[in-house]
Amino acid sequence: MSKKKEKKVKIKNGKVKKRFKFSRLLVLILVGCLVVFCAFPLVALICRAFMPLDELYVFPPRIFVRHPTLQNYKDLLTSLSSSTVPFSRYIFNSLWVTVVTVFCTIIVCSMGAYGMVKHKPIGAATVFTVVVAALGFSGHVTKIPSYMIVSSVGLMDSYAALIVPSVATAYNFFLMKQFCEQLPDSLLEAARIDGAKELRIFWTIVMPLLKPAWSTLCVLTFISSWNDSFSPLVYIHSDAMKTLPLAIQTISGGAGVVARSGTPAAAALLTTAPTIIIYLIMKGQVLQTMAYSGIKS
Amino acid sequence: MAENKQAKQPKVKEPKVKKEKKGMTIKTRRSLEGIMFITPWLIGTAIFFLFPLITSIRLSFSELTSMAGFEMEWNGIENYRYLFQQSTTYIPNFLAEVKDTLIDTPITLVFSLIIAMLVNRDIKGRGFFRTVFFLPVLLGTGYVMEVLLGSEMNGVITIPSGLLQAIGASFAELVTGFLSRITTVLWKSGVQIILFLAGLQGISASLYEASRVDGATEWENFWKITLPLVSPIILLNFVYTMIDSFTDSSNKIMSDIEHCFSNGALARGASMGWFYFAFTFLVCVIVLAVMSRLTFNQGER
Repeated sequence: MSKKKEKKVKIKNGKVKKRFKFSRLLVLILVGCLVVFCAFPLVALICRAFMPLDELYVFPPRIFVRHPTLQNYKDLLTSLSSSTVPFSRYIFNSLWVTVVTVFCTIIVCSMGAYGMVKHKPIGAATVFTVVVAALGFSGHVTKIPSYMIVSSVGLMDSYAALIVPSVATAYNFFLMKQFCEQLPDSLLEAARIDGAKELRIFWTIVMPLLKPAWSTLCVLTFISSWNDSFSPLVYIHSDAMKTLPLAIQTISGGAGVVARSGTPAAAALLTTAPTIIIYLIMKGQVLQTMAYSGIKS
Repeated sequence: MAENKQAKQPKVKEPKVKKEKKGMTIKTRRSLEGIMFITPWLIGTAIFFLFPLITSIRLSFSELTSMAGFEMEWNGIENYRYLFQQSTTYIPNFLAEVKDTLIDTPITLVFSLIIAMLVNRDIKGRGFFRTVFFLPVLLGTGYVMEVLLGSEMNGVITIPSGLLQAIGASFAELVTGFLSRITTVLWKSGVQIILFLAGLQGISASLYEASRVDGATEWENFWKITLPLVSPIILLNFVYTMIDSFTDSSNKIMSDIEHCFSNGALARGASMGWFYFAFTFLVCVIVLAVMSRLTFNQGER
C-alpha cells in the first residue's frame, strides 16, 4: 500500500500530472474495450450453457440468454450416468493425470534448463538443436510411434500412458531456459563458495528465484493437459480410465445431433471451471515480482 | 564403460587419468553436473520425441504394408512426389499458412507487449484486467472457441449489412478481414501477455528510478531499459507464437494431416507432416540465430 502512495505523490508534480491524467484516461478506455472483447467468449459460453433448445437455434444467433434453464445440465448428467462409470471417476482421472504431469514436467524441465544454461555441459548446443527441432513438431505426427512405444512397454490403458509421454516437453524446456538465463551467475557462485551442493543450490536458490517462470509453466501445462482429449483417445480403451474431455466428447455425439446440442456448452463450462480456478490461484505467483531485489549489485 | 576405456588406454597415459579422477577440473565437474541435471529430460525426449521422429521419417519414405504389425516398405520419394505433383491442395494451403503466420506473429507480439505494459502499470483493478486477458486462453483449446471462431457465431461479430453497403464491398471486405484477424490475435495472445508480464516483473524498479533521476523520458526508458531486458521473452514469445500458429489444429495443413492419420493413410500423413515441420524447424532456426544475437541476458556479466 505504501508503495502505491509513494508513486501517486510523485505523479502529482505540475506538468507531469496533467499529461499523466490524459494518458491514464486513454489507457483506461483502451483497456476497457479490450476487456469487453476478451470477456466475450466466456459470457457467450455461460449464456449458451443455460440456453433452452429453441434459443440455441435462433437466427441471428443470440449472445445473451432470455430464459435461462438447467435443462442442459440435466441432459449432461443423464447421458453421463447412463454408462457404468460414475461421473466423479472421470473428474478424478483428469485431476490425477493433470496434477502429476504438471509436477513432473516442472521438475524435469527446470532441472534440464538449469543444467544446460548454468553448467554448459559438453553437447549443450546439440541439446538445444533438439529442443528447437522438437518445438516445431506437433504431437499428432509423433503420436503413432509413441503409441507403439507405450504399448510395447505395456503401459496401455494406465495413468502412466497419459503422464509419461508429456513430461519432457520441448516448449517447457525452452521457456525455463529463457528464464534461467536471467539468473545471475554471481549468486550461484557465492552459494558454491559457501559450500552448497548442486542439488541444494537448485532447490533453495534456483527454484525459488524461478517461481514466476514455473508458475507460468504450471498454468500452461495444467490447461493443455486438462483439455487434452487426443492422448486419452489414443492410449485409453476402458471406460473407467477415460478423462473428462474424452468422456464428454463421446457423449456429446458430434455436430449433427440436435437433441442435446446445449450439452457441449454445459460440459465446456464444467471443464473450464478448474482451469479458471487454477489460474486464479497461481495468478499471484505468476505475477509476483521476481525476487531479484537482493541480487542487484 | 569407463573402466573398459581405462584398461585399454596405453600405460603412459595412466597417471593423467588417475589425476583427473581424483580432482577433476572445475570445468569438467560443472559439465558433469550439467549432464546430470539434463539427463531426465533427455531420456524422455529420446523416447517420446526422437524415436517417434525417426520412425515417422522412415514412414514418410515408405508404404505401410500391414497396419497391425506396423510393417513398412521403402518406396523412395513417392509420397513426396504425390504432394508436389498430384495434390492440388497441399502447396496452396501451405503457402497460405506461411503467409498467415508471418502476418499474425509480429502483430501478436507487438500487441501483447503493449497490453502487458499497460497492465503492468499502476492502474486500478489491474488484477482484474490480467485475469480477463487470460480468459480466452483458458477457454482456448476447448469447444467454445470452435463455436465462436466457426461459422455459427459469425453473424454476431461482423458488421451490420446496412453499413456494409454504405462503405462499399471491397472496403468492407478489408474491414471484416481486419476485424477477424484482430479477433484471433487478441484471443490468442493471452499466453504471450502473461509471459511478457512475468518478464516485465523481473525488471528491477531501481533501474527506472535511476534513469528518472538522470532525466530520461518514458520513451527513452522503454527503448533503453524495458526492451533490452524483456528481449529474451520476446524471443520466447516469437517462437511460441509462430509454433502455435503453425501447429494450430484449426489450420488447413494440420487438419489434412490429421485426416490422413485418422483414415489410415499414415505414410502420406507422415510425408505431409515432415515437409511442413522441416520448414517450421528451418524458420525457427533462422529466428533463433538472428534473435539470439539481439537479445540481452542480464545473468551473464
